[in-house]
Amino acid sequence: MTNSSNTVNRRRSVITWRRRLMPYLFVAPNMLIFLTFIIWPAIRGFQISFFDSIDGRTFTPVGTGNYRAIFGDPTVAEIAKNTAIYVIFYVIISTILSIAFALIVNEQQFAKGFFRAILFLPVMLSPVVVGLIWNDVLDRKVGPLNALLEAIGGGSPGWLIEPKLGMIAVIFVGVWVHLGFYSIILLAGLQGIDRSLLEAAAMDGATRTQIIRTIILPLLKPTTLVILILATIHGFQSFDFIYTLTGGGPFGATTLIVQYIYDRAFQSPIQYGLGSAAGVILFMIIFAFTALNFLVGKKRQAI
Amino acid sequence: MKIQTLRSKLAIAVSLVLTAGLVATGLPSAQATTSGLLPTAAQLKAWKGKTISYYFYNDSQAELDTTKAQIADFEKLTGATVKLDVIPFTNYDPTLQARLAAGNAPDVARLNNPGFYIKDALDLEKYLGRKYAAEFLKGSTLQVTHPTTKKLIGVPYDLSVNGPFINVDMFKKAGVAVPTSWNWTELVAAGKKVQKATGSEYAFAIDKTGHRVSTVMSHFGAYMVDKNQKNVLPTSKFRAEKAVKIITDLYKQDLAPRDLWVGTGTKYSSPTAIFLGQQTPIFFSGNWQVASLKKDAKFDFAAVPNPKELNGGGWPGGKFLQAFNASKTPDLAAYFVHYLADTAQMETMDKNAFWLPTRVDLVAKGVKYADRSEDMAVFQSDAAKTPAAAYGIQSVPTLTAPIYNNLRDLMTDIMGNKITVKEAIAKQIVFIDAQLATLKK
Repeated sequence: MTNSSNTVNRRRSVITWRRRLMPYLFVAPNMLIFLTFIIWPAIRGFQISFFDSIDGRTFTPVGTGNYRAIFGDPTVAEIAKNTAIYVIFYVIISTILSIAFALIVNEQQFAKGFFRAILFLPVMLSPVVVGLIWNDVLDRKVGPLNALLEAIGGGSPGWLIEPKLGMIAVIFVGVWVHLGFYSIILLAGLQGIDRSLLEAAAMDGATRTQIIRTIILPLLKPTTLVILILATIHGFQSFDFIYTLTGGGPFGATTLIVQYIYDRAFQSPIQYGLGSAAGVILFMIIFAFTALNFLVGKKRQAI
Repeated sequence: MKIQTLRSKLAIAVSLVLTAGLVATGLPSAQATTSGLLPTAAQLKAWKGKTISYYFYNDSQAELDTTKAQIADFEKLTGATVKLDVIPFTNYDPTLQARLAAGNAPDVARLNNPGFYIKDALDLEKYLGRKYAAEFLKGSTLQVTHPTTKKLIGVPYDLSVNGPFINVDMFKKAGVAVPTSWNWTELVAAGKKVQKATGSEYAFAIDKTGHRVSTVMSHFGAYMVDKNQKNVLPTSKFRAEKAVKIITDLYKQDLAPRDLWVGTGTKYSSPTAIFLGQQTPIFFSGNWQVASLKKDAKFDFAAVPNPKELNGGGWPGGKFLQAFNASKTPDLAAYFVHYLADTAQMETMDKNAFWLPTRVDLVAKGVKYADRSEDMAVFQSDAAKTPAAAYGIQSVPTLTAPIYNNLRDLMTDIMGNKITVKEAIAKQIVFIDAQLATLKK
């Protein structure tokens, strides 16, 4: 009896140990990739930020010189302002529109799949291609948008040559690219709401607006928080489609912090250390905003 | 017909002028040298089954097709394999820098800015001999000569010359004669007249680079760096202001495509598509465009001489072949460079892709282009007329890109009325001083 009991205990112990180990084994490949391609380069980037290098092979230690150079660079204030404007408008517009589209698509009965696919389509396009396409569309003299505007007497706005219009253009395209992605996430959140609550409210005479305002939106808060966090991160990280759309122009009006990093690190004269230092600063900004979003969201949920 | 006859005569005349010009400027006189060097049996044995990578970009399909054919022949000849990495020009240098930093250097690369890669370059003299450099035009080898050891670390693959193209059909429609000589005032007037007559969007377009603008500065007698690595812009700043003003005024007045310059931030951009779309009658670029324009233009176009102010002529440029010292088979890499820059291979490439030769023997012999020979003659003529001072900036190969880029960005600021032309040139003087100071570190 003792022997068989010991055997059973040993088997249970092995099973428990396996069960404990199993989740780690499942995430191990992903973690390995994450460590290799995200964490390790991030550590190296942080390290390089204390060096000067024009070729990525020879490094001269400069202490905090790169950080001091960034904060002493007069163009950085302008870039910070551009980034702030872009992120604020991008996050607000993306969040509002994605909630609106998710609500519309959720209610839709006719050709549901088709409209969801259309909404999601821009997400599947390469951001570089998106920038190039919109660059053609927004061309002042031969772009189809201005051709349309001229036909209805709207003139020929210089979307790509007027600083304010340039910023409006990149915000619009940024929202257009990500809207489908955010809407699909919110749609999943909407479909998770217990329909009996909505039916009960309707039976009690609540209007559609009241249902949305008092039931759907509060229940959608956790998903909205995710959208806010993702949009903030995407906003700060925006670069690829902007680079092909405006190249940071006109007159630097759409140069955001990631392009500042790119220009320092990859445009002549190359300064890898400066680029890395700017990357570290960007990481800290995104981390701070994400933590703030998360904490505020948690606090509101607790209330 | 009259124009064609004139051009043919010009083609013959400029070949002679070019050769005479090169000799007069102190470049090596024409001497046929050994080419078609065959690998030894020992080399063939060592190279069999080896692979080298060739980092490459192309301005035209003809360049790519010819390169592929040459690689196929090289593989047959050596038993080695060449992996061709075709990279878009926009991200060419950043991608190569990243590869080098990551320890993933190609064996051989076609380069626009060899100055970036001096430390990584293979000493070609070790494999190809000290006399090998003399096979190429001396002016062209400046950028691929090691600044301290003075050894050859690359090969000039083609000589490029900046200059204008015109849409002949649009000029004819407007009743404007195809120019055989002109100055900048006449160029602008012709552009405006053709624009007005044809209703084109623009009168003029130029590649968005400081390199191309340097040509205009050279016409007015303004230069940035001399052969002794000195900042010479202060001595010619008023001339530089004139040149820069001409170009920026065209953009400010919407006579040139502002979207393409102002609307592309810090990126390089070329108005090739605008010229092909017949939105401008004049396109200022260089001879490397001939192959693409020949293939894609649905109208009659022509290369015309550079405008002449104090000087005429173009602005030197070109592409280079370089082997990297990180190559695991440096002898094979060096041989591949030698093979591509061989007389026969270079002549084939020059003919197919409308390149200007860099080999002394080919310059002397003259490349017979099957088509567009009049256009190539114009560029050859302008190459010979290019002032010696234009080569000065090549004495600082590591600084050419930042100096050109800064000029480009300052011009963008002028177009946006953020600074005046005078302020821009003053800033460029300060920038060049700061860049030259880095050489002393």
